Amino acid sequence: MATLLARDRGKAEPGAARPGAGPRRRRSGEWYAYLFIGPSLFGVFAFLLLPVVIVFGLSFFDWELLSEPAFVGLDNYRRLAGDGEAWHSLLVTLLYVLLCVPLQTLLALGLALLLNQRAKGVKIYRALFVVPWMATPIVIGLVWNWVFDPRDGAINSALALVGITGPDWLSDPAWALPAIALVTVWQNTGYNMLFFLAGLQGIPRELHQAAATDGATPRQRFFRITLPLLNPTMFFVMVTNLIGAFQVFDTVFVMTDGGPSQSTEVLNFRIYGTAFREFDFGYASTLSMLLFLIILAVTLAQVRFFGRRTTYDVS
Amino acid sequence: MKRFLLYAALVTGAFVSVFPYLLVVLTAFKTQGQLNSTDPWLPGLPPTLANITRLLGGDFPRYLGNTVLMTAVLTIGQLVFTTFAAYAFARLRFRGRDALFWLYVATMMVPSAVTMIPLFLIMRELDVINTWYGLLAPYILGTPYGIFLMRQFFRALPGGLEEAARIDGAGPMTILVRILLPLCRPALGTLAIITVISSWNSFLWPLIITSGDDTKVMTVALAGLKVGIGVDYNLMMAGGLIALVPMIAIFVFFQRYIVRSVVLTGLK
Repeated sequence: MATLLARDRGKAEPGAARPGAGPRRRRSGEWYAYLFIGPSLFGVFAFLLLPVVIVFGLSFFDWELLSEPAFVGLDNYRRLAGDGEAWHSLLVTLLYVLLCVPLQTLLALGLALLLNQRAKGVKIYRALFVVPWMATPIVIGLVWNWVFDPRDGAINSALALVGITGPDWLSDPAWALPAIALVTVWQNTGYNMLFFLAGLQGIPRELHQAAATDGATPRQRFFRITLPLLNPTMFFVMVTNLIGAFQVFDTVFVMTDGGPSQSTEVLNFRIYGTAFREFDFGYASTLSMLLFLIILAVTLAQVRFFGRRTTYDVS
Repeated sequence: MKRFLLYAALVTGAFVSVFPYLLVVLTAFKTQGQLNSTDPWLPGLPPTLANITRLLGGDFPRYLGNTVLMTAVLTIGQLVFTTFAAYAFARLRFRGRDALFWLYVATMMVPSAVTMIPLFLIMRELDVINTWYGLLAPYILGTPYGIFLMRQFFRALPGGLEEAARIDGAGPMTILVRILLPLCRPALGTLAIITVISSWNSFLWPLIITSGDDTKVMTVALAGLKVGIGVDYNLMMAGGLIALVPMIAIFVFFQRYIVRSVVLTGLK
């Protein structure tokens, strides 16, 4: 995201104070500006930055809410290093991310490529693909609970028609996590597709025509023209999808509650349980820091990966 | 042949996208008996309104009302505070502006999973747990993402507009309200839709901060349906239907605003 602004620094704003405006006028403008950003700035400090400071500080304390917080130095981090369940949660989270993010990105790109052709009814298909994104995740979880129901659910009923006995999806440790990842893919693919479609439509047709005239095959044009020019879109989709996937909670809460035998206990769910079920706020803060650092590292890695070949026009 | 494959893929995709919605509708109007005797993808005949009336006869309307209230307040707050801040960032010049805007962009990366514990503790310190204040406070002042979106839009407006007004002696407030806001209606619509959807669907924060019926929202109530004795799919789907209908209506009528949110993020 750091590259997001690289280009618009130092550009003259259309509405900025005009040359020759005296210091008096400028100061009155400033006064207004601070008034305008005031409430939102307070919100950012009080509800976004202060919490980060608190969670960092609290990760060095032992606090069960009813007692007084006790400073324990690095004890929580030592505990984390030897906490097999926490590492298991991290592993489950990574597995979930790997199951859903690549799939919902590639499927979205595929659908966008299909819709970018001159097909009839593009707008209707586009709308239908985005419909899952609107749905309340909690409702989606309940619905898919029903879809995955081992006896009467839609999937196993359909499998039964062709003589296959489907697995006990959400009660089977091997299938529960893939099932939840599938729900995520279902929900996000269409919305991702919107971004790719917007990106594809921003690629000048002349580029493809020129390449075709020079004898480039469709495959060459895809890998040499389309994909590189989609870099900014790919960056945005990957960053937002990864940040979201690392924090998955709602569907897990309503579909499996972390089970069976902790097979879907993702990190965010574990943080929630440690804090609001076991009231171990100090250690839950340490786990939050772990999740925060992972998300930060993954995001920065992508800034580096995409940054070199990406320019943004945000002016 | 190629055309056929294209449409086959599109139709399959559309079907998969819509299928769960279809199940919600079908199941919401089935009796328990019909649920067991019919295939999930077939309607129960005759359809019954029993599930929906049962749900509406209980506490559910109250939770639904709470969600409506929360959504309305958060959306209004987002529109007002975000518009002012985004306008200042896009069109006014003041000391520290670029640094502050960088700060905003940086906070877009702070995951809500990380802030939920400290936010809960802050609200506990302020003694507003299980109140409307606690539920609304963290999100009523607007989000960095909203400001980013609106700033993009303000910057795209021609500068000459304000020049003329300023020469006529109009202050920043007049310029914003009289000249820029009327031009901003599409962007405000987009921001409103995004905020309505995210507020309506929000779950984790309400789950943490509320416990009583006065502030319980629909998503928390629906999640509670699953914890009860036995799994009553009919009732869950009836609740799901009620939760989804407003979102579908918004989608049908305001689809272009959603598409615009994608364009507005400035990706080309």
